[in-house]
Amino acid sequence: MIHEEFEEAVPLYAVGGLERTDRQAFEAHLLSGCPSCHAALKEYQAVAALLPYGLAPTPPPRGLKAKIMAARSPADAETAKRPNRPSLEPGEWMNHLFPPLPSTRSFPSNTARFALAFAALLVVAGAGYVGWTLYMQMPAETGRLQQLETALQRETAKTASLQREIKDKETALTQLRHELEMRNAEIGELRDTVIRREAELDDAHAQLAQLEKGIPAFRRARVQQDEVAALLRIPTVKVVSLTGSEMAKGAGGLLLYDPDTKKAWLYAFNLPPLPGGKTYQLWAIEQKPVSAGTFAPDAGQKGRLLIKHLPDFSRINQFAVSLEPAGGRPQPTGAIYLIGHL
Amino acid sequence: MARVVKGDHQAFSQLYDQSSSLLYTLAFRILGNRDEAAELLQDIYLEVWKKVARYDVGRGTPMAWLVTLTRSRAIDRLRARASKAHTVVDSTEQPSPHLPDQSPDPFHIQADHELRNAVGKALAELPESQRQALELAYYEGLSHTEIAARLNQPVGTIKTRIKLGMNKLRTALKGCCEQGEAR
Repeated sequence: MIHEEFEEAVPLYAVGGLERTDRQAFEAHLLSGCPSCHAALKEYQAVAALLPYGLAPTPPPRGLKAKIMAARSPADAETAKRPNRPSLEPGEWMNHLFPPLPSTRSFPSNTARFALAFAALLVVAGAGYVGWTLYMQMPAETGRLQQLETALQRETAKTASLQREIKDKETALTQLRHELEMRNAEIGELRDTVIRREAELDDAHAQLAQLEKGIPAFRRARVQQDEVAALLRIPTVKVVSLTGSEMAKGAGGLLLYDPDTKKAWLYAFNLPPLPGGKTYQLWAIEQKPVSAGTFAPDAGQKGRLLIKHLPDFSRINQFAVSLEPAGGRPQPTGAIYLIGHL
Repeated sequence: MARVVKGDHQAFSQLYDQSSSLLYTLAFRILGNRDEAAELLQDIYLEVWKKVARYDVGRGTPMAWLVTLTRSRAIDRLRARASKAHTVVDSTEQPSPHLPDQSPDPFHIQADHELRNAVGKALAELPESQRQALELAYYEGLSHTEIAARLNQPVGTIKTRIKLGMNKLRTALKGCCEQGEAR
């Protein structure tokens, strides 16, 4: 049972309506020194003790009082019956110390009788002194006992209060521990995030490095594009169409050339991918072929070649592209893939 | 009561005069038998005379203590009798009219009269169901489960009735309790 349940049980306990197990639990709780339940119980017990006042009064039977007064003890009864008896007169208890003498027997002399009376007086006085001392000590002992009980109750209440405080502290500690665990988990997550970000940064650096590596090639391509664009703007530029041979029927090409600057630009498409150790070579053919440069098609099977200076272009009548060993050859040695006539 | 503790015969006699009527009424209400109530009262007073030092001033007024003691002993007898289950008791027995042994002093008669009026009024103002639950617990020594079974009501209802009844009495008799403390 929790404390609220004990508080609820107080009126039922006071009126005697609790179950045995509940009653025992409540009494154990009271023994633990709960001050609020003690206070409440005192109030409710005072109310319960008033209940008989609500009954129609029934006087006790005649003679009950005398019976009770007489029944307390034979000595008491005798005392009650003879209230005027001198208080120092020996009672029946004296018989235990001095057995009564037969009535027929008389003392040998007045001196002996006096000695016996004196001895009895001494015994009575001694017993009275001891009794008086004990009687005087009793209130002090009772007071001390009450003080001890009060101190015990106070200490019990203090212990209960300390136990409550400890419990509160333990609860707070548990909460702090829980929060700490949560913070640790958050820190772990943050650390993972940082690691991921660092990896991403490394990737970004690598990509940047790759891009930086590609910049020269990009610049070269850009230069070529600029050259081609410049070529296309020249009004006197010539265009030669190249068609695929038996080796590459779907292939074709376009060759632009400027007779004034002797620059030319080849754009080929659908050329078969190059076998290992091979390259495509462009030939300008007059009476005999003259190499104009080598190139390799890209992944899209497109080949580009800028020729900055074609030799004596006016006499060229054919262009051809052949497959040659890597690095090219002075004269064509491989099969022709593209061919175009002026 | 302090004088009774010391074994003062006159004080014991006064204690009897002031309390016997109430205690006998209570014992008779619980036991329903005059002879048994008288016997119980004799046991109680002798116990008080011999072991009265057990009375603790911190636990209520002497009268409240005597009432609690009497109720407790009477309920014990009632249960012992129920376990024997062959003693027939006429609970409707009415006491024959007779005079008390000795009249208490007029001050106490007046004080008791006022207290009886106040308690009677407070009880009369309670709903019948609450008063019935209280009386079954207090005078018949039934637990709330036993009362619920007897009245064919849920246990929770009986607990609530007892609590409400006691709370109302506490409020109504607050002044009387304080007066009782002073006695």
